[in-house]
Amino acid sequence: MDRVASRAARKHHPLNAHFDLTYRCNERCVHCYLDHEDHGELTTAEILRVLEELAAAGILTLTFSGGEIFLRPDFFEILAAARRLHFDISLKTNALLISAEHAARLRESGVRSIQISVYSDEPAVHDAITKIPGSHERTLAAVPLLVAQGLKVKLACPLMPQNLLAYRGVMALAEKLGASYSFDPTITPMMDGSGGPLIHRVSTAALLPVLQDPVLSACYPRPAAQTDAAMPSGKPVPSLTSAVSSGFEFAAYEDIPCSAGHNSVYISPYGDVLPCVQLPVPAGNLRRQRFRDIWYHAESLEQLRAVRDSQLPVCGSCEIRSYCERCPGLALMEGGDVLGAYERACELAEQKARLAGVAHPLSALHAPGATARQAVGPCKTNFLVTTDNSFYRKGHDA
Amino acid sequence: MRKTIRWQKNPIVAWRAIDGETVIISPSDNVMHELNETGSFIWRQIDGRCSAAEIAGMLAAEYEVPPEDALADTEALLQQLAASALLVTAAAADGAAC
Ligand code: SF4
Ligand code: SF4
Repeated sequence: MDRVASRAARKHHPLNAHFDLTYRCNERCVHCYLDHEDHGELTTAEILRVLEELAAAGILTLTFSGGEIFLRPDFFEILAAARRLHFDISLKTNALLISAEHAARLRESGVRSIQISVYSDEPAVHDAITKIPGSHERTLAAVPLLVAQGLKVKLACPLMPQNLLAYRGVMALAEKLGASYSFDPTITPMMDGSGGPLIHRVSTAALLPVLQDPVLSACYPRPAAQTDAAMPSGKPVPSLTSAVSSGFEFAAYEDIPCSAGHNSVYISPYGDVLPCVQLPVPAGNLRRQRFRDIWYHAESLEQLRAVRDSQLPVCGSCEIRSYCERCPGLALMEGGDVLGAYERACELAEQKARLAGVAHPLSALHAPGATARQAVGPCKTNFLVTTDNSFYRKGHDA
Repeated sequence: MRKTIRWQKNPIVAWRAIDGETVIISPSDNVMHELNETGSFIWRQIDGRCSAAEIAGMLAAEYEVPPEDALADTEALLQQLAASALLVTAAAADGAAC
């Protein structure tokens, strides 16, 4: 997929869409960034029209997420339409509502993968995070139903202080259930900008045992190709990537911060188009505009596409760039500048460089004389380890 | 008499024409397949009604390849795609027109 993804990014062809069908949810997770009230979701007819526009524009991989997607009574109708339009479909769900019949329908619909949020192997820890008693048991009951249908299931575990050391238990659980897993301590502010969820963020120091865990570093994905050839490095570098990335990040892009707005797009339940769920830069609305017009003409997307990593005002000269998983969306939300550096990314990059054996690693933001373009705000991190394989590639010539 | 096989695209595979090429993803095995321009031409004609010979005829007309080469290439690709479960045999409606 790397070749396809990088070509799409170079030509700005839309390839991946993350479509939140609702922000309503049947859990109340302590760290959630969403407003769960329905402020006028797209209707079934509107969603089907949007799907047609996405397919016509060339979107291939489509992730349905929320909120909880199974709360939409028309979910299977939407799924059937997505199948008819030949999308590669993935889902994100808490699985509370998934029955054996649903699992069979998901397989028939050609769903490729399903990501399920699981916070711990201990029910009490999980249920305290979701605030729904019994949710751990119900969520885990759905996994064998899906696996029995041959569906690929991944347990996604956001890491917070209350479940930080549960990751080994979640790994064992995933292996027992025949699922893959991912861990991610990225906690973002609410969509309205308020910082409530941030109290559930793990400090960089507290993350150290996780970063040092040899079991996890064995499954770190390959780091992105870096341009900083001067970077001293001996040991493998943990590659930290986003919880909301398409999964096609590695080595697919040269000198651009990420896929957002280059070949990936986010659509809200209200039809708002953003480059990424984590990059709140409005590009347009699908109730008023056609997807193609937004994708090819929105000024905010044009500006984003002009950004080059090597020319970033602070990060462009950073000596530990190859250890950094800077996210433009978090740079904007935390520091107010989509082009800027932000404290959390720098702290983590320094930590990882140190672990890899670099003597006295210093980010450009912390270097003497550095002039940060922005005030340093509250920090979050952007980190994912996963057992997931990306695509294998086969070519056919006629 | 050997019955003519007519193939159709497996309805659960994901695919998109991108830049003149075709990307196909099979959800069952997580494998991505890519077809070049002529492979994509053949993929477009696979509709459950055309036989390999009929598709090869169209290929030969479009790309000016000798008919026997077009047939060999078409049959080889159809076999390859079918082996990867990207195609399924169509419920043959007698006399269906290509
Ligand atoms: S904006 Fe951040 S989360 Fe979104 S694709 Fe880019 S790096 Fe990933
Ligand atoms: S470590 Fe800090 S300064 Fe260096 S690239 Fe990352 S965000 Fe920018």
